[in-house]
Amino acid sequence: MQAISPVGKPIDPERPLVLAIAATGGPRIAAMNEAAENVGIAIGDPVADARAKADSLQVRAADSGADDAALRRLTLWATRYTPTASPWCREPWSEENGADGFFLDIEGAAHLFGGEESLLADLAGRLNRFGLLARLAIAATPGMAWALSHFNAAPQSILPSGNEAAAIAAMPIKALRLSGESRAVLRRLGFKSVGTLMDKPRAPLAARFSDELLRRLDQALGRIDEPLIPVTAPPVYHSLNYLLEPIISQQAIVARACRLMQNLVHVLVRDQVGARALRLSLYGLDGAVETIDIGLTAPTRSVAHVARLIDLKLDTLAAMQDAGFGFEAIGLAVTRVAPMPARQIDSNIDRHLQLRATAENDDDIAALIDALRQRLGSNRVRQFEAVPSHIPERAEKLTEVNGKTFQSAPPRSEDSYWLLADDKTRPLLLLPQAEPAEVTALVPEGPPRRLRWRGVTYDITGAQGPERIAEEWWRNPSPYPPPQAGEGKEGSLTRDYYFVEDGEGHRFWLYREGLYGRETAAARWFVHGLFA
Amino acid sequence: MLVSTAFPSLSLIPDRAAVLTQLRGLLARQAGWREDVNATLPFGLAALDSHLPNGGLACGALHEIVPTTQAALPAAFGFVVAILARLSSSYGVGLADSERMDAHCLPHGFPNGPPYGTERRIVFVMPAHALRQCGRLSGHGLKSLGLNPRRAILIETAHWQDSLWALVEALRSQAPQAAAGMIDRIDLKTSQKLHLAAVDAGLPLLLLRPSQTLESSAAATRWRIDAAAGARDRFGSYARARWQVQLERCRNGRSGEWVVEYDHVAHRFSLVAALADLSLSRGAGDQSRRQANRS
Repeated sequence: MQAISPVGKPIDPERPLVLAIAATGGPRIAAMNEAAENVGIAIGDPVADARAKADSLQVRAADSGADDAALRRLTLWATRYTPTASPWCREPWSEENGADGFFLDIEGAAHLFGGEESLLADLAGRLNRFGLLARLAIAATPGMAWALSHFNAAPQSILPSGNEAAAIAAMPIKALRLSGESRAVLRRLGFKSVGTLMDKPRAPLAARFSDELLRRLDQALGRIDEPLIPVTAPPVYHSLNYLLEPIISQQAIVARACRLMQNLVHVLVRDQVGARALRLSLYGLDGAVETIDIGLTAPTRSVAHVARLIDLKLDTLAAMQDAGFGFEAIGLAVTRVAPMPARQIDSNIDRHLQLRATAENDDDIAALIDALRQRLGSNRVRQFEAVPSHIPERAEKLTEVNGKTFQSAPPRSEDSYWLLADDKTRPLLLLPQAEPAEVTALVPEGPPRRLRWRGVTYDITGAQGPERIAEEWWRNPSPYPPPQAGEGKEGSLTRDYYFVEDGEGHRFWLYREGLYGRETAAARWFVHGLFA
Repeated sequence: MLVSTAFPSLSLIPDRAAVLTQLRGLLARQAGWREDVNATLPFGLAALDSHLPNGGLACGALHEIVPTTQAALPAAFGFVVAILARLSSSYGVGLADSERMDAHCLPHGFPNGPPYGTERRIVFVMPAHALRQCGRLSGHGLKSLGLNPRRAILIETAHWQDSLWALVEALRSQAPQAAAGMIDRIDLKTSQKLHLAAVDAGLPLLLLRPSQTLESSAAATRWRIDAAAGARDRFGSYARARWQVQLERCRNGRSGEWVVEYDHVAHRFSLVAALADLSLSRGAGDQSRRQANRS
């Protein structure tokens, strides 16, 4: 029995190294280095065989989670070439691309690098510098590019559009990205290359292989589309800047981001939209990508505002991580936009001035909220929202101030939720949780006369109430009060609220929980709020 | 001779009161206040306003509100909210006094309430730990003190440095109408920073401080607030909030002590009693009530 040593001696890259996964009948090889390949080890061999071929074979356990994470990072890095980068995945529900590469949709992006050849060369050079041996291919369809990258002899190949059928005909069946099951059946039927399959009539194939085989074939040939799942949501507008020298300082990053935003502003103005969400991507020299997401309360086109938000975010980031070797490229993407039409001038000059002042103040407030959210966290900045409910703690809630809650001009009807009858008083400060208190009353149902709360005794000189607030029956699963007293569910009892004041002028909002005799035998008292 | 060379305009003014006013203005300028900050928020009470420079609470300044005891914290909170509610009700921070009086004699300046959006926001910065101690502000509670809860932006901070930053940020943006905050400890330098931010923005900054505050600060005023037995209507039910207000420190003004009552509908303060010792009057009341009960 061979044990797979987890982490032990340092790895010597010159000697054969394999990564093993547990399989039926002992561990098998999942990946290996060049030295191992030279010895004649193949992927899928049992580790025992491999040990026989190479003495002192280095074996490590394969960690598919770490592989996926690394691939994701690399794919994020590759968004420096094009916003649409899609890593191959190994999830069971999707087809097996094999999780060891990614697709880049370079349509419209290649000319920025001086054509497809130089883009490929640039990508290969950079990946090489990371220590990655990459096989790259450019083709008109993802399926074709996948096949080329796996089965073309040259490590870099570019297939001109229109030659797909000829190119794939010579390739083995494996080039179609089929499931192992289909591949086995095809092999048994005697199909060796894709070309032989293409000559056959489609109907029998469709009947035999569900839709997988023909779909893969059509995808490779470009007859049907193959949707790519991008690693990040593709932006609406995107601006990227490649730097000659890597930058490290926060100031430099903000200055660059400013310039990128200036580029974007023209497009935003042209389309009469403002940015609602932005993403700043910092492409590190070492292949790491730092992304900063910025949400905006109101659509904006202001360069200064965006720059300030980025600055605030970098402030908090700087403490957590360092820039490493610096950033070689910096991209700013507008991921969400909202219409931002030009403001119309009202014919009435006074009204116009008033409207403009209001709008400007709204802009200022939105900018302030953005800054606060950026520094303190989005859930820290909140506003009141009235809720139609009798229960005091439910009658209002604090909602995050974001674009949705801020922008929607509150309907007039919502105002009415804030209105209360005149005889109802509500405390200025509401305790987060009603706190139990000891209360003495002359008669059980009477107003309190003495209150002991948080270790202090208050002699009550004036009490006003009760204001009876019953549980909202429509929330309660069983609408009828419990048959026996004292068995009431927590929180489902009727409350009698009292406003009380002690001789010193301290004012409290108390309630007695449960009605004597009907709901409870011993009512408890709680302090729920403090009056000014 | 020195005076006349330094302030040549003074010698031309024969009126003593005018001279005093001008000197006060010079004092303010000396203290680094902006000159055009004559925008003040009067309490509408001659007794109080006469103690304050320019007859009211300066808008572009830092004001400290301190509860006398921990138990008086809700009262101090109420005082802050009452000032903020008044600030927004009388838009006329720049209005002449007579106009302003008219404005707040009416229940509302606008018959249907002010149009939405013209009411500017108010920023409240609260440390998270205060939540456990004294609960959080309630929208209905703000409403019952006359402040539209929709105008409030509540910011919860984990650290006092965040509180400071948020307050300065809010002032610097000049977007809200006022900023209010609760901060445990600030030193003189920090308070100067806050005060300058308020002066630059021309916005009032109301700072709620813990009761044990004693250190010096750059605040324009420091108020000590204590709870006072509330006003009752003739049926014995609670009518209005009442606070014992002590103006402990006031730059360019005089200190004083009053018991004020606040009417949230008209956003109006009124004076309750000139009695310095409230306990006397209350004790008397109790006694008479007891006698009445006995008879």
